[in-house]
Amino acid sequence: MEVTWIALSAALVLAVSAIATAWAQSRIGAAGAAALAEKPELSGTMIILVAIPETMVILGFVVAVLIILRGGGG
Amino acid sequence: MIIPMVKVRVLGPRERIDDALGALQDFGLVHLGDASSLAWLGSPDVGPREQRRQRYVRRAVDDLTEALKFLGDVPRPEPPVPHDQIDLRKLVRSARRVAGQARSLDARRQELEDERRELERYRDFLVAIRPALERLAGSPRLTSYAVVIPAGSRTAVDALTTSLRAEAGPDFATATRELAGGDLAVLLVLPRAFAERLESRLAESRVPEIPMPAGYAGKPIGEVVPAMLQRIESVPVELASLERQRRLLGEAHRRDFARQRAALHDWLRLADARQRCGVTARAFALEGWLPFARTGDLQTLLRDLAGDAMVVEELAREAWPAEDAPVVLLNPRLFRPFEAIVRILPLPVYGTMDPTPFVAVFFPMFFGMILGDIGYGMFLAGIGLWLHHRSRPGSVARTISEIAGPCAAFSIIFGALYGEFLGDLGSRWFGLQALAFDREESVMAALAVAAGIGTVHVVLGLAVGAVTAWRHERRHAIGRGVSGVMVLLVIVVLLAALDVLPGALFTPAVVALLVSFPVLVAAEGFLAPLELLATLGNVLSYTRIMALGTASVMLAVVANRMVGMIGSTVVGFIFALLFHLVNFAIGLFSPSIHVMRLHFVEFFGKFYSPGGRRYEPFGHWHPNQGA
Repeated sequence: MEVTWIALSAALVLAVSAIATAWAQSRIGAAGAAALAEKPELSGTMIILVAIPETMVILGFVVAVLIILRGGGG
Repeated sequence: MIIPMVKVRVLGPRERIDDALGALQDFGLVHLGDASSLAWLGSPDVGPREQRRQRYVRRAVDDLTEALKFLGDVPRPEPPVPHDQIDLRKLVRSARRVAGQARSLDARRQELEDERRELERYRDFLVAIRPALERLAGSPRLTSYAVVIPAGSRTAVDALTTSLRAEAGPDFATATRELAGGDLAVLLVLPRAFAERLESRLAESRVPEIPMPAGYAGKPIGEVVPAMLQRIESVPVELASLERQRRLLGEAHRRDFARQRAALHDWLRLADARQRCGVTARAFALEGWLPFARTGDLQTLLRDLAGDAMVVEELAREAWPAEDAPVVLLNPRLFRPFEAIVRILPLPVYGTMDPTPFVAVFFPMFFGMILGDIGYGMFLAGIGLWLHHRSRPGSVARTISEIAGPCAAFSIIFGALYGEFLGDLGSRWFGLQALAFDREESVMAALAVAAGIGTVHVVLGLAVGAVTAWRHERRHAIGRGVSGVMVLLVIVVLLAALDVLPGALFTPAVVALLVSFPVLVAAEGFLAPLELLATLGNVLSYTRIMALGTASVMLAVVANRMVGMIGSTVVGFIFALLFHLVNFAIGLFSPSIHVMRLHFVEFFGKFYSPGGRRYEPFGHWHPNQGA
């Protein structure tokens, strides 16, 4: 039972952070596409801006790994 | 590094202004500023005649560019024609006439190429049915039809031909040939008595018919086939003739047009530079920046030109703001490709730090830490070498190949440290052992290393920020330094609390933190603690090195498992290979983006001052420079 909760918690952490990242990237991506249509020279900056919210899912991944390893599920 | 620049002011008699500008244009190293706005100077008058002339020259340049677009540009034109030898009116007329001729030749060529493409689709069919048609030509009893139908209508045509064969008997025959693009061409041979019935049958059976090429529709097939075959032969001859005319047109005008356009561009640049000069009734002054090391050359040049009549004055560094100075990055050969990464952001302000050397060290290192696989690293090295071999010096492809080299080297080094060759294939096939730790098993070790390297990188950024700010904003520099120390202290406190470091360090580190806190607030203000928290968040951001690396190795392991999971070994091997290729592609793209982000956001954020001006020295025009 405990292993189930550990697995569920890790999955929840990853899922929520992934959804948050996806939502943020969708907004930034849409705005970025509009900006690039007018200023193609911003492409480098836009790639970076789109990559910024990925911190959330990466930290979510790290926390999920910690939950599994520290919780004894690994 | 950002090469040291010096701001100079050139003073001379007003009547020698064009001589001075001409010499500077030949010198080609002075980035001109605007001296016309200086308080004691005015800007040179440009009369209506001069303005008209400039407008006319600009239009002539546009006409020449348009003509050269059709004729093919000259990458390295010969020295420009002296401007005063150009008859603008005649030149514009000639450019427009030649552009018109080239344009109509191009349009005709496009038409012929379309026609050839269209006719080529039918070639096999026409060649195949020609003998039958020649035999039928003398037959009073039989006639023929050709129809082109979409591939999807084959069933309907089959049903129709079966029914016609039943009615017309052995005299009915068909030949079908697939055309390029999938359509079907069908030749129907039948007694003349059935000819009227055929059209109604075609309509009834709802076979969609694709029209024959324009000019051939509605004509008897006996006439169309020889005409189309003849055209297939004659179109390439016409195309070759057009190509010859075009080449002759280019040879006759391209070189002259290129030289004259370069001369007109130079003249416009000179006119623009004249507007940047400040003048009095008798004198002129111009200002600009040039590399410090070339100041002596400029002085010699102007002394040779005008003796004591012209003076080059160096302005003190305090007399001009750093934001106005142009920026030139100059790095050792090994680091130079990484300037391309720095240039994604606006250039750094003059007088600040050029981060290229740091990027050249940390970018490939972080990339290698993430990809960390001997096999992928070797593959990347191979791609880099191939790209290097195929690219021209200075091209984007060459720069990418030169960045790929160090990235591949670090990938191989970290692959050896992690014991990875195409995931776990190395350990399974050759007994490859990790020299440091196995990423697949030791996730916590990878996490600790990533956080550790993040700490080093962020603290280095703070240290660089402190050093850069020390000259102008000492308080800010102290704040940066204290922030760096506090980040290190926080890490020590955490590690001591987790028993990674001796517990004895805990109390001194906490005391040091408490002492640093007011210093930080005094130096950077009340928002500094928030900034410190953000800096600690920056350190955590480096855990992406572990996260992406773990994902990469897991995907490689899954690819290897495919060989055993799928029944056939061959199919499994192919799937595994494809999966490795996908993982490799992800392994190139994802680390590049994330490592760039770590540099631009986490590292550069501590010291980088964007907003430097591009160095655009006043010189002769070159086709690669655009307008």
